[in-house]
Amino acid sequence: MKRAVKITAGAVMIFISAVMGMILFGGGFVQDITTIGKTELINGGIDDKLAGSVAENLPFRDYMRSLGAEAGAKIGEPVVNDVYISDERLLDVSASELSSAENYALEVNSFAESYSGTVYFAAVPTSKGIYGDDLPSYIFDITEKKLIEYLYDELAVNIRKIDAYTILKMLSDNYIYCRSDTKWTSYGAYCLYRTVIQKLGFIPISYDKYAIRHVTDDYRGNLYDRTGYMECKADLLDIYEYSDGTEITECTGYDRDGVEHQLSLYDTKAVESDNPYNLYLGEPMDFIRIKTTVNNEKAILVIGDETADCFIPFLTKHYSEIAFISADSYKEAIEKYVDTKHYEQALFLVGLDCIKNY
Amino acid sequence: MTYSSLLFIYLFFPAALGIYMISPKKIKDIVLYAESLIFCGFMGVKMTLFILLFSIVNYTAGKFIYSVKPRLKSIPLAIGILFDIIMLLSFRADYFAYLHGFMRLPEGAYPLGISLFTLSTVGYLADIYKGNIRADKNFIRFSLFVMMFPRLIMGTVISYDTYLTTMKNRRFNIGELGEGIIGFVKGLAKKVIVADQLYMLYSAVDGMPLSKLSAASAWLGIIAYILCLYFTLSGLSDMSCGLCRCFGIRMPNSFNYPMFSGRIRVFLSKWHIQVIQWFRKYITTPVSSMINNAYIGKFVFVIVWTVTGMWYSFSTGGALWGMLMGLAVVIENKFTKFRRIRTNGVIFTMFAITLISVFLAAESISGGLRYIGVMFGGNGNLADSLSVYLLKYYIVILLVAVYGSTDLFKNTLARVKDSKFGWIISVFTPVTVFALLLASTALMAYSGQSDSMIIML
Repeated sequence: MKRAVKITAGAVMIFISAVMGMILFGGGFVQDITTIGKTELINGGIDDKLAGSVAENLPFRDYMRSLGAEAGAKIGEPVVNDVYISDERLLDVSASELSSAENYALEVNSFAESYSGTVYFAAVPTSKGIYGDDLPSYIFDITEKKLIEYLYDELAVNIRKIDAYTILKMLSDNYIYCRSDTKWTSYGAYCLYRTVIQKLGFIPISYDKYAIRHVTDDYRGNLYDRTGYMECKADLLDIYEYSDGTEITECTGYDRDGVEHQLSLYDTKAVESDNPYNLYLGEPMDFIRIKTTVNNEKAILVIGDETADCFIPFLTKHYSEIAFISADSYKEAIEKYVDTKHYEQALFLVGLDCIKNY
Repeated sequence: MTYSSLLFIYLFFPAALGIYMISPKKIKDIVLYAESLIFCGFMGVKMTLFILLFSIVNYTAGKFIYSVKPRLKSIPLAIGILFDIIMLLSFRADYFAYLHGFMRLPEGAYPLGISLFTLSTVGYLADIYKGNIRADKNFIRFSLFVMMFPRLIMGTVISYDTYLTTMKNRRFNIGELGEGIIGFVKGLAKKVIVADQLYMLYSAVDGMPLSKLSAASAWLGIIAYILCLYFTLSGLSDMSCGLCRCFGIRMPNSFNYPMFSGRIRVFLSKWHIQVIQWFRKYITTPVSSMINNAYIGKFVFVIVWTVTGMWYSFSTGGALWGMLMGLAVVIENKFTKFRRIRTNGVIFTMFAITLISVFLAAESISGGLRYIGVMFGGNGNLADSLSVYLLKYYIVILLVAVYGSTDLFKNTLARVKDSKFGWIISVFTPVTVFALLLASTALMAYSGQSDSMIIML
């Protein structure tokens, strides 16, 4: 027994020391130490920050997270870091509050009041909203349907509301939402596009006219990042291409610091980056101006979060100009980059993730 | 910082142990003290200063109690104890929350373990007052009694003379280190693998409106609460004892497999042993010694248990929990002549403890009573889809927890060790410790720590 105890001591200390060395010499942890501020030093919080940093810089991090998620789901309920692991997909189960919807409605109403054109609003549910029926009752607190209904009730009457929830819910048997992400797939975006574009006064381009290109079949989204659960099947990121002769003549983005970037509708290099979803419109920008060869002088202002990223390309076949403003900072961006009078239509296309956190 | 944190396990602990090992014997206390200050420093400078102030006040009060004339001794004793209790209440009781603001501590700041080191310091002052010990002149040694990092987070409550003996007899070798690591990993696994899962089960039930809860879900919730409480407290205690042992300091364990005891009294004698002993030593015994009447003695016993309950949860529910525990022991003692067979005893004890613990978990007495009503079908719903769902997913961890809270595994190991298959233990021990450490690390790999606490002591 004594020998076993000594072996245990030796083996564990060697293991702990090795992990310690790998964390320290990995670089990231030491860099995080330098970011500790005076307030944290005085008031506390260093332990939480550094514990998170150790987790980020843990050797074999992805494997350990996957192991943790699997072990957690095996020994208890399949919920890891507020993500429900079902046989089919991962679902975000963090709590929602009606007050966030109310705050968001106030913002939109205030915009609509000062805007001369027509305002359209589409709240896009997350995968939990569409596939959350099977979640246990105690998790399924405020349904996204209820949240959207509440939001729509709070919106001014002159705002035209688009019922994205019902459209997507009806098509839930299709691959409209990522399995490892809260966001929809390009096909989900297309399904909503068909309705939205009619409301905006155009005829949608039929599905069979598109050539669909699978850019990657190994996309693991934000819910995977939170669980590391490898058993969940990876997702596809698709590009919908339609050659009708329309071309993009300008796609310029402005980041938070106002720096100009030349962009394209699809940044295929992003697939290899930490955030492959940046395939659609590249890195997040405060404002993107897209000009096309569509010769109808129609311009639209789109205010949206990253949910709208894969939706925007569908609009390029109908408008000569699209101004896409980030929902996070739209007030500043409008002031800085946009003359709203130039746009007859404004479309809010916002994911519930964004509204919930508002 | 908690012990169940990757930062602690893979950086602070090996670094602190390494420095402690190579430092000369003469300065080991200073090194341990400096390391403890750094450990507290992770909670912020303000919190470190608070704990330091706590040490200074008690150290000074101790010196005054020891040096002043006998008739004046009660003054520094009262001041010291009052200070300790006010500090404790400022963190534990909502009524005193303004003191928290007065100290300008950040919101949510909580020195985990304050309830335990307050008992230690009050005991220290009382022992000096009674003349059992001298006030320590060595501030660092005294301060280590309060804030020694391997003991700080819910470590064992010990008297100062036991502490001095323990520190004097410390010995560091690979065997002690091994035993310490085994104890630490055992505690870590109890907290991260078992208690955290049970906490999720309890939270699932607790999050449901009481009016919608079925009887089965209510039973699952309260069983999860009790087991989670046991695995959290005993896990932290095991980690603390294991860490102390890694540094050559042997601390007694606080729990001795209390669950599934044959009597409530036996349960309480094995539950948080040093804490229960502290209340007996410093409150029950002195007060009882002044009383000759058996009934008043029993009344005092129940009152002290009420105070113990409030120590666990400063609420009416906590007080009622303690009072009912005390009453249960008194009633049980009254009927000791009726011998129960052991199985009945275990069932009766666990049934009583489960019902009483509802008040510790509940926010109010009325909430507790309503919960008990639901447990017996008050909502007209014996089981529902939620209870089936929870049972389906948590049955494994519940069974593991039930088995792990008994001494069956320990006894099996002891039997195997003494048999011709004793060699199996030599293989089994390092493999199991390693597997538990890996599993705990994996479960903490996302946030870097396991900081969910069912109770803040």
